[in-house]
Amino acid sequence: MRSARWLIAVVLTGAVVMTLSSPAAAKCEPEKAGANYPNLVGKKIKIAVDPSTPPYTIRDPNDFEKIVGFDADFARAVFRCVGLQLEFVSGAWSGLLPSVIAGQNDAMWSNLYYTAERAKQVDYVVYMQAGTGALVQKGNPKKLKSMDDTCGVRAAAGLGTVEEAAFRDQSKKCVATGKPEIPQVSYPDVAGGVRLVQNDRADVMLTDLALVDQLARDNPTAFERGFAVMTGFKVGVAIKKGREDLLKALGTGLKEMQADGTQRELLKRYGLDPTLQITSETLRN
Amino acid sequence: MWSRRCLLIVVIGGLLLPMLTVGCGNPSGGSGVPGRSLEDLSAGKRVTGDQGGDAATATSAVLQGLREMVLYIGSPFLLRGTLLALQIASLAMVGGLVLGLVLALMRLSSFLPVRGVAWFYIWFVRGTPQLLQLVFLYDALPMVGIKLDTFATAVIGFALNEAAFSAEIIRGGILSVNRTQAVAATAFGMGPFLTLRRIILPQAMRAILPGMANDTIAMIKLTSLASVIFVNELTFRSQQIVSQNFKFFTVFAAAGAIYLMLTTVISVAQAVLERHFNLELDRSATSRSVLARFLSIGRDAHPRAAPEGGDRIAVPEPANLMVALGAPTSRAVSGARLGHGSVPNHTNGDSGSAFVVCDDVCKAYGSREVLRGIDMSVRRGEVVTIMGPSGSGKSTLLRLINHLDRLDRGEITVGGALVGYERIGTSLQPARNIARARADARIGMVFQHFNLFEHLTALQNVIEAPSRVYGEPHAAAVERGMTLLSSVGLAHHAHHLPHRLSGGQQQRVAIARALAISPRLMLFDEPTSALDPELVGDVLGVIRRLADTGMTMIVVTHEVRFAREVADRVIFMDNGVIVEEGPPAEVLGAPKQPRTQQFLRLVEREVGTF
Repeated sequence: MRSARWLIAVVLTGAVVMTLSSPAAAKCEPEKAGANYPNLVGKKIKIAVDPSTPPYTIRDPNDFEKIVGFDADFARAVFRCVGLQLEFVSGAWSGLLPSVIAGQNDAMWSNLYYTAERAKQVDYVVYMQAGTGALVQKGNPKKLKSMDDTCGVRAAAGLGTVEEAAFRDQSKKCVATGKPEIPQVSYPDVAGGVRLVQNDRADVMLTDLALVDQLARDNPTAFERGFAVMTGFKVGVAIKKGREDLLKALGTGLKEMQADGTQRELLKRYGLDPTLQITSETLRN
Repeated sequence: MWSRRCLLIVVIGGLLLPMLTVGCGNPSGGSGVPGRSLEDLSAGKRVTGDQGGDAATATSAVLQGLREMVLYIGSPFLLRGTLLALQIASLAMVGGLVLGLVLALMRLSSFLPVRGVAWFYIWFVRGTPQLLQLVFLYDALPMVGIKLDTFATAVIGFALNEAAFSAEIIRGGILSVNRTQAVAATAFGMGPFLTLRRIILPQAMRAILPGMANDTIAMIKLTSLASVIFVNELTFRSQQIVSQNFKFFTVFAAAGAIYLMLTTVISVAQAVLERHFNLELDRSATSRSVLARFLSIGRDAHPRAAPEGGDRIAVPEPANLMVALGAPTSRAVSGARLGHGSVPNHTNGDSGSAFVVCDDVCKAYGSREVLRGIDMSVRRGEVVTIMGPSGSGKSTLLRLINHLDRLDRGEITVGGALVGYERIGTSLQPARNIARARADARIGMVFQHFNLFEHLTALQNVIEAPSRVYGEPHAAAVERGMTLLSSVGLAHHAHHLPHRLSGGQQQRVAIARALAISPRLMLFDEPTSALDPELVGDVLGVIRRLADTGMTMIVVTHEVRFAREVADRVIFMDNGVIVEEGPPAEVLGAPKQPRTQQFLRLVEREVGTF
């Protein structure tokens, strides 16, 4: 069951697609927000984020109260474009999606991958694809060059993430081929995972490729990238099912911010590869 | 104030210094090494430590780390998280305590469904992870239309959880208080809630406090669980900073120091409160403030209770006791308060009428029949002693007269009225307010083991029922309480706690306490059985003088000589029935029943050994 999840997700990503947004959207029309989104205008749309995910959502080093990062800045730009107000609500990552499903928050915008499983509970507007990277200690002492090399090594991944599931699936594969299973550790926040590798409590940590590259770049004596997996995962905003107006607003805004090059610019500003951008689309299951 | 805080920071910093050094020596380097400057820090730069630096750089790195830590401690970002943690913890603690007290009382209920509900709640809440409880409250309740915000969810979630834990702590505290304390309070007409508030909880506090301090400290720290429902408290905020600048050591050390400061406050509060509720430390009036007592440490001049021998009673004449009993002001007040038209009569004036009437009284505990059809009456002003081997039902009969226990069959009237029963048709139904009924009956009771309220001074013991049950003004109650204590020869022990008094002194205080409610009937349940032989005389002396005032009394005792001298009538009981009764000269001098003869032979042989 678990082993199928990784693959199915990739396949379904392409398969289950419905485009909602009107094809002929022109440009940003913040002044028409009242006419376009009468139920949303003037309200603060609550966006759930976990500001411990560099470079997507992090605390501003000069003012911890402020949330910055690619996702946060991009969200601000999109909302400005459609003339709506947003408010970031920060919490632990594992609590974000449940809060959207429960209606406590309006959307989750915090480096969330699209999976078919999740799409049963929320609607998505996707805007980029993700790569997954393996963070290892300097010199890659365990010589990890692909997922197949991870049999028997101590592996770390974020709690409730697709990477965690990926290690579980890989571990089963290892056992099936007569290799040792993967002793796995799940961490609640990225910094905690980084410490696992840094203190030699884990041999490899699987997380977002951009983050892995940034860590390796900033700490050249401590870390390097072991390998990368182009998973084809799409990254998007998740919205509670049935919030058609918000879905439409985000679809429109994202399209505009891609069209005028804002997304590309922000990707570059935060050290992310601009080619990760994909044409935004609304995905619902 | 500010300088105090700085001092605290320096002290805690000093404690953490060695840890910090270890952290810097971490061979894996990386983010374990503090930034070189504040600019580095605020710019979020990651400093990969240059390992193997000389001692000077190591020292400066440590100092730098300390400086950073102190800056983090004072940062508004973390302080806001601290405030949030405190707000949630304190509100949840208050809610948890209130709900926990209710649950504890439910657990102690004699009514199975009530007990069961509380047990189930505690079982469920203690048995499920708090994190899941929080997520459930926050994310599942909206499905049924209850949408709580983050703060409310956290407060309610932690309060509901704390209730389950504090219920068990409070229940443990209540159980640690001797059951006889509640019996004594009940006997004086105190209702269940008054008993709980005035008698049980103050004594339970000492057992409750350490556990509650634990819970409070745990809760302040555990508020970090609530990050999953978007509570941005201290731990969450420090994690957020770390995920941005990876300086886990200084940031977490700062958060740890803040937690330590908070929990230090709790620990100090615990110590102060424990002092307050510690009876062994208490020297006299509990009205003295904690500070006053704190200041008097080391020059406390209160001597331990003088040995009984040095404290012979300035023997009160019957007249003195009469005065003590008959203090007109308090009688008038309490009589009016209770709606009594007449003031109790303590004289022998109408000694012909039956005052206490027991008719076919039966009582069984489980399958054991303790009383099997007792018919007995006591006239106004009469002194009746009940004798008999243990297990014969003497004490049970006394308890039934005061309605400390329910009758199985038969009925008892005191002064013509049922105590705590209403006659409906031919059957008796328990009255709605039994405590009130006991108070109205004005029956004073003295117990074998004194049952003084351990946390109250002698005087406070005496005035408790008059002022709390009968609404006597404090000053009047104190004045009469002192008169009563003088009459039993204990005026100079008025401000001592019971554990400072000898057994004989305690029993005399207990008699004064019983007299303070202006009783119409006094019940003595083996008042001298728990006393050393040489202390018996003083207590019997007081009872004897009380008999001389014309008080109606029923005395359960083994003191043959006392019965012979004081009693108007002796009742001999065995195995739940009255075997023999009559004037002492007959029953004690020439018993007709073999059972009585046998018992008296045994008792007198024992007495002979004294």
